[in-house]
Amino acid sequence: MLMIRTKKQLWIVSTVAIAGSLLYFYFDPSFNRFFPPCPFNWLTGLYCPGCGSQRAFHDTLHGHLSSAAGHNILFVIFLPLLFFAAVVALHNLFSKKKWGQRLFYSASFARIILTVTLLFWILRNIPAAPFNLLAP
Amino acid sequence: MEQTPQQTIIPPVRPKNWLVESILVTIFCCLPFGIAGIVFAAQVNSKYDTGDYDGALKSSADAGKWTKIGLFVGLAFLVLYLIFIFLLGGAAFWTSASMLRNN
Repeated sequence: MLMIRTKKQLWIVSTVAIAGSLLYFYFDPSFNRFFPPCPFNWLTGLYCPGCGSQRAFHDTLHGHLSSAAGHNILFVIFLPLLFFAAVVALHNLFSKKKWGQRLFYSASFARIILTVTLLFWILRNIPAAPFNLLAP
Repeated sequence: MEQTPQQTIIPPVRPKNWLVESILVTIFCCLPFGIAGIVFAAQVNSKYDTGDYDGALKSSADAGKWTKIGLFVGLAFLVLYLIFIFLLGGAAFWTSASMLRNN
């Protein structure tokens, strides 16, 4: 799980998060060439589980969740989890009582994450009717 | 009275499992290395639960290794891509500038 141990790490993580959010808020990856393409997609022509996440992030920052899901539904599914992880990391930095240990350290939870990610990776590459909705 | 010593085995601290970091790398760096990170993150949890503390520690190191590989390969790709784009942009700029001069 995400661990922020020192104030310095907190500065680094929050600077990256804020700068990234501003960049993806003001610039749409669909129309700007300085956003990199997915290296996996560039090499293989296949979609990876992260393909479309830059566009999805842009849409999410503008509150367009359904359009974000159209680019990468896994990103939208993982968002609440990542948000929770950030809150837990922030809480655990300042408090002796540690949150989130049970969820992030449960074996079945990690296995579910792995299964969902792998399934999504396979299914979104099937170029047929219901599955092509998962493509970015 | 018979004294029974309290035998409590204190398990070592759970090793960091890199689950959230490997999810972030999978989503944002677009590389299968992040998935390797999730695989080892899951192993950290299951091995620790079965009492295999050394194995959990080893999986933790592997999860960290693959997550970092994913992050740094992704960053390297980003830097190379940006250099490529700016070189191309620069080339396009000079080409159009010279075309303007010729007209």
